[in-house]
Amino acid sequence: MGCAVLLGIVHSAGRMVVDPAGETRRQKWSLTQQAFDGLLATLGPDRGTAADRYLAIRRNLVRLFEWRGCPTPDEYADEAINRCARKIGEGEEIRDVATYCIGIARMLVLEMSRERAKEASLDKAPEPQAHQPDDDQEFRMECLRRCLEQLPPENRKLILHYYQGEKDEKIKNRKGLMEVFGVPASTLRMRALRLREGLHLCSENCVQRQEGTSL
Amino acid sequence: MRYQGDDDKLMVQYLLGNLSEEEQVRIEDRAFSDSEYMDALEAAEADLIDAYVRDELSQSERRGFERRFLTSPQRRSKVEFARDLARVPGLKASEAAASERPSGWLSLVSLIRAWNPALQFAAVLVILISVAGAFWLTAQNRAMRSRMAAFETDRRDLEARQEGLRQQLSAEQERANSLAAELEKRPSVSVPAVASLILLPGLSRSETGRTQLALNSSAQLAHIEIVLEARDDYPRYSAELRTRSGEDVLIRGNLLRRQTAAGYVVSFDVPTSAFGLADYELALKGVAGDGRVQDLGYYYFSVQRR
Repeated sequence: MGCAVLLGIVHSAGRMVVDPAGETRRQKWSLTQQAFDGLLATLGPDRGTAADRYLAIRRNLVRLFEWRGCPTPDEYADEAINRCARKIGEGEEIRDVATYCIGIARMLVLEMSRERAKEASLDKAPEPQAHQPDDDQEFRMECLRRCLEQLPPENRKLILHYYQGEKDEKIKNRKGLMEVFGVPASTLRMRALRLREGLHLCSENCVQRQEGTSL
Repeated sequence: MRYQGDDDKLMVQYLLGNLSEEEQVRIEDRAFSDSEYMDALEAAEADLIDAYVRDELSQSERRGFERRFLTSPQRRSKVEFARDLARVPGLKASEAAASERPSGWLSLVSLIRAWNPALQFAAVLVILISVAGAFWLTAQNRAMRSRMAAFETDRRDLEARQEGLRQQLSAEQERANSLAAELEKRPSVSVPAVASLILLPGLSRSETGRTQLALNSSAQLAHIEIVLEARDDYPRYSAELRTRSGEDVLIRGNLLRRQTAAGYVVSFDVPTSAFGLADYELALKGVAGDGRVQDLGYYYFSVQRR
């Protein structure tokens, strides 16, 4: 699945490096093709297996940076992978690339935290963007409605009821759904989550298509 | 429900950034090594986002959420999506009620699911047989109703026809009587007096018919008219008159039918002298083109002399 990404294409250049004193500074470092090939060779015996492993590692890194509140999880994930590839290119033997990358990611999180703390002390920390009414709302709602209509009736009922209501009402709804579908709470929760993810993706694609058309 | 309760609370604290670095690492490592735990963490995240957009978080939770969730475009997109999802109008009340209270059918399915495979098979078999039986009974019932409706229509038609014939007979008898009475009043007229008898299908063919041939003293001829049914279509007819005890009185062959207002009739005259005071049987037969003779009916009447 990730072969196209890995057929000779080197992902974004590294941006952040920690100096020995612990100061974060920006430095332009490019991942070389040789280093990237070395990373892939470490990940699997063939390029296909290596690509799958690469994507799995990157996905987990993005998740970790998201969980930790990083503003640009994709860029940080690429940075962690770049550093790992660089180490491999320098001849370091890494037995478990995934764990190694996670270790680098945690280091980056620490760097990020330090930088944030520093910015906060200088009163430069960016304010989290609270919700503001946007012009695209109706646009997105229309897309969401369309995506909901594409769902089979049973799934549509599930997703709408699962996330409907507040507190007690929501609990009651979910118990009702468990009875209707004859599944335990954990299964229902996962089913709702997968439907939600699919719906989110469908909605995003719809918005992108609409934007492409209107441009 | 493997990851619920305490696990969920811990996950929420993690997602809000309220745990120590050590605890965070523990949760992350577990998520990366256990896909179910990862799923549970993602579900907890979705629920947390929902709670935020529905304003169900405390002040401190809200601050923590905004610090962690509103920083990256990916997560902001998740929050926007949750907001949009919460805005989707709820289902219609009836639909919602239907899903809250499982229907009888769904309850039955849930119950059957809990049985062992043999019982499930038996239950499915019973249901299939019941459904097939119900369909068959419905079809039979419909066919029977249709047949009964047809019979009822036929019966009404027959009754109406009988009533019409009854009235016709009564009028004819009245006319014959009045004619006879008139003839009685005018004995000087040389035209022989005629008594008339009309025999109708469905009335005189059974012994229950109480048809009478009234002969007054001046009547010399009895005119007998037999009304045919539509099915009695033959080129020739014959009539055999005998007493109820079986003595032949008269046989008339080569009779033709003719059309009247009452339909097709076969008629012939019998001298009144041929009649005694008795009960008579008249047999009407149809003679087909190839000479075959078919009994069409037997008519019974009695003779009364005035």
